[in-house]
Order: sequence, then structure tokens, then C-alpha cells
Amino acid sequence: MKDRLTAAVKQSRADYTEIRVERTWSSAVAFRGRRLETATVSEDQGGFVRVLDKGCGWGIASFTSLDDLPAMVARARELSRAVRLDEPIRLADTAPQTADALLDLDGDVRGIALSDKKQLLDAYNTAMLAVSDLIVDTQASYRDEVSEVWYVNSEGTALYQLRPEVVVSGTAIGRRNGSIEKGLESIGLRKGWNSVQGFENEFRVVARRAVDLLEAPRVRGGPYPVILDNELAGVFIHEAFGHLSEADFVYENPQAREMMTLGRRFGKPVLNVGDNGAAPGLRGTLPYDDEGTPTQDTVLIQGGILVGRLHSRETAATLGERPTGNARAISFRHPPIVRMTNTYIASGKPGVGFDDLIRDIKLGVYACGAFGGQTMLENFSFTAGWGYMIRNGKVAELVKDVVLAGNLFQTLDRIDHIAGDFTWNQMGGGCGKGGQFPLPVTEGAPHVRIEEALIGGDV
Amino acid sequence: MIERLLERARGTVDGGGADALWRREERTAVAFESGRLKAAGITEEAGLNLRVVAGGRMGVAGTTAAQPDPDALLARARASAELGEVVELAFPNPGSQLLPPVPTYFDRTANASLSELVRIGKQLVERLARPDCQVNVAVEREVADTEVGNTAGARGAYRATGIAVAADVTRIAGDDVLMVYDQYVGADMPGDADLETLVRSVETRLTAALRIVEPPDGALPVVFTPAGLAAVVLPLEQALSGKTVLQGSSPLAGKVGELLFDERLSISDDPLTPGRPRSRPVDDECVPSRATGLVEGGRVGRFIYDLETAARAKTQSTGNGRRGVFGKPHIGYTNIVFRMTDGERGVGVQHAAPLPSHILGGGLIADIDDGLIVDDLIGVGQGNVISGAFSHPVGLAYRVQRGEITGRVKDAAVAGNAYDVLKRIGGFGTDGRWLGSRWSPSLLLDGVSIARR
Repeated sequence: MKDRLTAAVKQSRADYTEIRVERTWSSAVAFRGRRLETATVSEDQGGFVRVLDKGCGWGIASFTSLDDLPAMVARARELSRAVRLDEPIRLADTAPQTADALLDLDGDVRGIALSDKKQLLDAYNTAMLAVSDLIVDTQASYRDEVSEVWYVNSEGTALYQLRPEVVVSGTAIGRRNGSIEKGLESIGLRKGWNSVQGFENEFRVVARRAVDLLEAPRVRGGPYPVILDNELAGVFIHEAFGHLSEADFVYENPQAREMMTLGRRFGKPVLNVGDNGAAPGLRGTLPYDDEGTPTQDTVLIQGGILVGRLHSRETAATLGERPTGNARAISFRHPPIVRMTNTYIASGKPGVGFDDLIRDIKLGVYACGAFGGQTMLENFSFTAGWGYMIRNGKVAELVKDVVLAGNLFQTLDRIDHIAGDFTWNQMGGGCGKGGQFPLPVTEGAPHVRIEEALIGGDV
Repeated sequence: MIERLLERARGTVDGGGADALWRREERTAVAFESGRLKAAGITEEAGLNLRVVAGGRMGVAGTTAAQPDPDALLARARASAELGEVVELAFPNPGSQLLPPVPTYFDRTANASLSELVRIGKQLVERLARPDCQVNVAVEREVADTEVGNTAGARGAYRATGIAVAADVTRIAGDDVLMVYDQYVGADMPGDADLETLVRSVETRLTAALRIVEPPDGALPVVFTPAGLAAVVLPLEQALSGKTVLQGSSPLAGKVGELLFDERLSISDDPLTPGRPRSRPVDDECVPSRATGLVEGGRVGRFIYDLETAARAKTQSTGNGRRGVFGKPHIGYTNIVFRMTDGERGVGVQHAAPLPSHILGGGLIADIDDGLIVDDLIGVGQGNVISGAFSHPVGLAYRVQRGEITGRVKDAAVAGNAYDVLKRIGGFGTDGRWLGSRWSPSLLLDGVSIARR
């Protein structure tokens, strides 16, 4: 395949040509309540060509029929030539890469019978349903894939990557009369069959929580001191800051560049943030991004100061910085754009624990788990799975509907205490941007305290 | 394409049956970034989805292979069925095949050249340009061919076009980030008037947002614009799905005919609306399209079903089967249409002179002493949606004081429960419009909680 792509790139008359071909083997099992929804094996394949002619814009073609490859390269060049630019698109230099990067399959999912996958998910689903008669519905899903990705460009890069992925998730829905609540468990890794065994108890716990939430009051709206657990703190940093560190937001916008000037203070000295696409085994992990740039650990905030951002080759060239390996596409159907990989808040001092964060809070909220988050850059939301009131330095009653309203400049700067108990999340789901969803990403964080954050709710 | 596959399936699945969908899509897109044309692209993809019922059990398989091997696909579907649930699917037969006519294909859209798409984008970029603002515009045109069929002999085929023109304007002033966007989506090309409406919509909302004011707090009247309404509509969409009803998690289960909403509120699912991208003569399971009254005069109407959920609920499919290349068919809405029903004069009364849709608040703010217009909320869909509860920070919202818009509010969050706030609607706006696949006016809803820092 590499040779075929190399030949097609050689034939291209454009100044820059890249071809990405993907072949993805996947299987999926889903339960809804006690019923099996599907158990199926799929194969998806297709190609993507991106071309840049001198003085012109991007010409792009994506297709499912690989027989058309040379024609598609020619079409992409025509499209590029249809876009005339005064200021040319430049790509930051990267050393050509040639490699076969085969990630550890950790129990190759292609060799496991579909019936075994059904049995595994059945066990997790049954664990949720067995918790209580009040669990009226569940949604459980298992999905795995092994993706083969070939990437060749006209600068001499030729890569073959084998990328595994496995996600198991379950939602338990509890109902008592008119009241309906849910609990969510999700495990997602760039690994294989071996890594998703033995999670019965985790699924039981979320079903129990859905039942407990039926009796819990809604949190009262207003500003509170808030402690985020590891999972929500991870989602928080992804939404609060991660998206703003993606350089495609700033690279052609002078006002945004000014707002995001390197050296600006965004947080107190305790805050350290980064994005690490090279961390082993996580969902956002890749040896190379979808422009063939090796991934790396990029420090974004150091001691509260903005020190870096995430780049594609194009954004790096415009800003005179170095590519960071963050150009990613969810599939051959899309062009690579600047995305996060595994984004983290670094651990605080070893020995600093949850107790140290909660001790002097009189009235606050301990927000736990994550249903999701969304950003409009300056303002963002992050939705906890559940929460507890904090009263006089202690965790008190369970509360529901805990949704935090964040502001980039206020919320980040109000992080005043960070515990030393860092963990990576291992969640499924994914990130959406520019019509590309779900992109596998991971977040990691320790417990984090925000002096004051706004929580929505009845007032 | 599907003929040979179904023929092969008929010979091999004993006593069961099969249905299939083939879809080929071709898209052309141009993207303007920060005011200049940066990229042009095409996409061509085709896929085949097969479902079999073999030995009473259902299985599915899909492929994007250019020359799909029917036997391999069939073997995969049968392997899937071996693990599948027992289901009594009634595949529609040709006798039920009077497909209603609905315009889904427009020559102008299918034939629009790359330079025509560029012209539309350029026009918008020029009209929206302002100092200190970044304008992004994306124009995408699609032509899709769909064929559906089953072993009972039913067939359906249609060609559809779609065009989406999206514009967003970002204004950064110091540390204030303001984002305003709007879109035109249709099966037919936008005319100059459509593009003008889009421009004025963005301009109006941008201009009103330039001044930042303090948010109010407390339980106050809130106007949800057609865009802002998403958080309130989503719980209803989930609860009216036959699937959630079957699973026992819909708060509307067992409540058909009950008056749960404002008597003037009617909502329907209508795949026969001319010229909308989700419109179609037949669903993805060979069921002819028809409109379904979801809420009628405030009462719970019908739930929507696909073939499988209908079989389980012992009812008929409402023609809401949707399927992709991979996975099995599922329930999906087509076009959701809000109507104000006037008890005296019957259904669907329109106002004599509708306000243009770029007038913020839809004519509903005159009597508001203190409240909000909510145009965009952040994180919609991420809470405990099925319960009806919503709680979101505002993305774009305006304060209304003494009947006037006084400016944009930031750092506020609105919360409520869809079932509570729709019991009594304070007013229906005269600014009804399409937003993607939903048509609605603004709604004035009372007693929405607003929290602020």
C-alpha cells in the first residue's frame, strides 16, 4: 500500500501532496435494558488526498473507492488551483518520517469471538440491572477497532500505523414515579481486549448512584467554592483551556493572538497544564499525527503562565513556532485540524490530599464525574455526573444537576489548591470540533479546588 | 445495487427476510477562514447496509467497499443474527407502497458549480466584514442517492440535494470573546433574500451584543429564540421516541391524550415538508413517509417508531426508521415543526404580518419588565436530559428591561424543567423560522431560574 501511495504522490503535479488511507476493522455490541440491540462486525475503508499548489489554497478529496486514487489526486489539484491566495499557505518544516508504528494490541480484538464480547457486555449490563428494581433502563455498549493507517506525503514521509481502540460504556437509568436519574460509566483506551476485563463493580456503582440521585435535591444555583474530582477536573481543563490553546483559533486573528500572548498569566503558580500525545496506551495517544508529525508532551501553562500551544504544520508556520503533532482527523472523511490528545493538569505537591482542599470550606460543592462539557472559548460549561454539598469542611449530602458555568479568565485564575493525586481518565466518548466528532481524547488531573465558581440551578 | 443482494438474501434466510439500504453521497465544500477562501474539497462515498432476520433473529452488516461482495456481507449479517434477539419484523410489502410526492431534489443545487459556491461565500464575507471581527463562512452542497428495498418486494428510491451556508463572526475585544453565527440550510439554493436574512440575523445579534450589562437573577420571564429553544425541545424529543417509551424511561409513557402542555402548543414530525434536507418520500426501512402529531393542542399525541420498536410495541412504524452504513436502523426525527394552535380557529393559524426573523425576541419582549432573551446555551444535551431538567451557562443572551433590550449578559446560567415551563407559554413569537431540521418561533417562558456570579 505504501508503495502505491508513494507512486501516486510522485505522479502529482502539485507542490505539496499528501495521501492518507485507512482500513478499520471494528466490532460493536449494544444492550438496551435486557435486550441485545446489535452485535456486529464492520469494515470501513477510504482515502483522503490534500494538495497545495503554489499561491493556492487547500484542495481536498475524500472517497471510499480506492480505485480512483490517481483521479482523486488530480481532482484535488484542480480544487487547489481554484483557490487563489495573495498570502500563500506555508507549512512548518518537519523532518521526513519513515516508520511502521505498531501500537501494542493488548489482546487483538480481531481474534476474539463476537459472542465473547457479547458475554462481557452482558455481564456489565446485568451488573447495572441487578442493583435495584428502580433501574428501569440501561444502555450498554462495547466497541473495538483496529485501524490501519497509511500516510505518505511529497516531502518523503511514509508511515504505516496500527491503532487499536476499545471502549465499554454503560448508562443506568433509575426511575421512581416522575423522577428520572442516570449514572454513567465509561472505559476507553488505545488498547485491546485485555484492558476492559473485570469492571463489574464500576458498573454496579453507577447504577447505585442513579438510584441514590432519585432522592437527592437539585443543587441551588449560585457562586460556591468548588472541588472538582479527578474526572471532572480533566473535563474542565479540556473545555476551559484546551480549546483556546489550539492555535487555529489564534493564528489568523490578531486580537486572539494578543489575548493568548505567550507569557501571559492565566492562573496561580500552582497551575501546570499540558497535552501529551505520546503518553502510552491512552485514547488520545498516537505515535504520529495525521500530518506525519511525531506527537510529544507539550507544556501549555507553567506555574500559571502561558508557555505553549497546540499546532498543525500550518498554524506553526504562521506563528513562527514548532509543530507539536496535534493535527488530527477523525477519519479519512475529514482533513486534519488542530486538536488535543491527552490533556492534563499536572499533579500538585506529593502528600497534598483531598482533605487539605476541603478543610477550610464552610459551604461549597464537591462536583464529581462528568457527563460532558462544551466551550464557547471565553465561556464554557462542564456538567458533573453528581455532587455533594460541602459543609464545615466535610462532604455532606448528595445533590443532582450540578452544572458549572466557567469563564476562562476568572475560573482558571481561581484555582488555588491542587492535590497530589493525579490520575488519567479512561473515558470513552470523545471531542467534537469543526463537524468532526467523536475524536478520541483523554484528560487527566488531580483533585482541584476553585475558590469560586458559578453553579446553575434554582435560586 | 441492492437488487442482487436481496435476491441472494431471499435464497438463504429461511422463513425470515431481509432489507437493505444503499446510499451514495457526493459533496462539494468551500471554506473561508478569517475572511479569505482557504480550501475547496470534494467527498464521494457510498455504502451498503443489510439487515437479515434469520431463524427469527435479527442481524446487521455494512460495508463501504467499492465493489461489495454480497456473499461476504450476507455471511456477516447472518453471524450477527446468530447472537441477535428474536424479533417479529413485518417488512412492508409493495401493496403499502404508495409513496407520497415530496420535492427533495433541486437541479439548481445539484448543478451549482464550485464558482457559484465561492460566489455565495464571498458575498457573505463581504457583507459581514467589520473591523475587529473575524468572519468564517462554509458553503457545502450535497447530492445523495438512496435506494431501499426488502425481500417482501417493497422498493424505494429517491435523489436529494442539500445546501448548507454557515457564517460565524468572532469579535475579540480585550478579554471579551463574542461569537455569533447563523446558517441557511435547505434542499434548494438560497436566493439573495435568504442570504440577506442571514446577514441581518448575524448583524442584529452582533449589534445588540456590543454593550455588556449585568445579568439579573431570580425566577424571571425568558424568551427562548428558535436557536435558544434547543435545550427545552431535547427532553421532549427523547421522551416522544417509541424506544424510550418501550424502555420505561420516558416521562410521557402512558400519557397519550393527556393535557401536559400549553393548549396552544402543537408539535409534529413532518418528512413531507417540501425542500427540507430531512424530507423524504420513504424512510430507510421502506415505510412511506407521513406526518406524525407529537403534541396536539397541548396533549401528548403519538410516539415515533421504526419497524423494530413498532413490532415490540405492537403498533405501526411511523416511518421514522433511519440507518447509516454501519449498525442497525434506529428511530430518528425528520423535520420537527412547532405550531401555535388557536382553539377557536383550528390548527395552524398564522399571524397576519409575521415579523422578520432577524428581529430579536419575536415581538415578545414589550411586556417584560426584567428578563432575558436566550439565543444560545452551552452544553445542551449533556445533563440528565430525559428528566426534563436543564441547566446551562448562557452562550449568547440579552437582558430585557422595561420592554427593551439593554445589552448582552455574560457569566449567567439558566435552569428549569421543560415539562414545567411548557405548561403555560407566555407567548408565541412571530419570528418562526427553520433552524436545521426544526421550525419554531421564539417562545416566552415564565419562571426560568437565572443564577449569576
